[in-house]
Amino acid sequence: MSEAQDKPEIDRKLLEILVCPQTKAPLDYDREAGELISKKAGLAYPIRDGVPIMLIEEARTLTDEEMRAR
Amino acid sequence: MSSPPQIFDKTLYARRRARAAKTVGDAGFLHRRAMEDIVERLEIVKRRFDLAAFDGAGDLTSMLTPACDVEDVISMDLAPARLPQTGLRLAADAEALPFAPHSLNLFVSLLTLHTANDLVGALAQARMALKPDGLFIAAVFGEETLGALRRAFYAAEAEITGGVSARVAPFAAIQDCGQALARAGFALPVVDVDKVAVSYDDPLKLLRDLRGMGETNTLMNRPGPLRRDVLMRAMALFAEAGGTEKFEIVYLTGWTPHESQQKPLKPGSAKMSLKDAIKGAS
Repeated sequence: MSEAQDKPEIDRKLLEILVCPQTKAPLDYDREAGELISKKAGLAYPIRDGVPIMLIEEARTLTDEEMRAR
Repeated sequence: MSSPPQIFDKTLYARRRARAAKTVGDAGFLHRRAMEDIVERLEIVKRRFDLAAFDGAGDLTSMLTPACDVEDVISMDLAPARLPQTGLRLAADAEALPFAPHSLNLFVSLLTLHTANDLVGALAQARMALKPDGLFIAAVFGEETLGALRRAFYAAEAEITGGVSARVAPFAAIQDCGQALARAGFALPVVDVDKVAVSYDDPLKLLRDLRGMGETNTLMNRPGPLRRDVLMRAMALFAEAGGTEKFEIVYLTGWTPHESQQKPLKPGSAKMSLKDAIKGAS
């Protein structure tokens, strides 16, 4: 089985109101990668043990390729 | 837009909070006191809160009573290790909130905003995340907090090294907190203070308590390692001065503006002259 299915889901209620802490823009939930993507900020916020880590310093910078793909 | 000067090192604060996650149960007597106080405040407010966010308040959710009338809670903390084990949780900095506008009914911040580099900005973000007529409550450490320790360090350093440095970070004055609430756009702003005096037979216990809470110095320009002789002298001076430390827990309360709230009338809108009003009263 894929690893993604073992990842705990984020509660819908939380997902509905979360925005990028830097730009306040909406986020895309990437289930496979376990990340919350802010295209506007070019950042991917990790989800660790089901807990969204909404810290700018902890976010991964999206690659040019990822930016183009989105 | 220029960003405000970075006074506090938030990355370090996150590490300190994480390190203290296991010890705050014993050392967090001020946190517990503030949480009990906040529960009482919520009980008095006759209002139902569908969705609340609690910042830095790990145990507050489990302390809520039915009278608080809080339905769902999102727990947030700068350090994930300080979050409760279950429920809606996320790591976030109170200075960069990840909540959509008008998404919450209640926002509580427990002893975190004293390390805000931009207090007004943090409060304004909380205001924006709240729905109209939403409630904001923050407990922060006030100006007089750790005054005895600060004085002891100053005196010991001056005596031994001939200079002084900021061993204890400064805390906001009460009037600044009130102004910050108003500037952030909260209606009906109220600030009140709970003063707590704690006596220490062993002054080193105070330092252990601070470490246990995750509240040791996180100033950006914090001085280098403390010399042992300075530390011991400071501890002796602290004991000589009475061995008592004061803490100020300042509560900032405000509501997001709503039609139903009391507000002053516009100047010139009076329907009766002052002269008639005075005449009628006599």
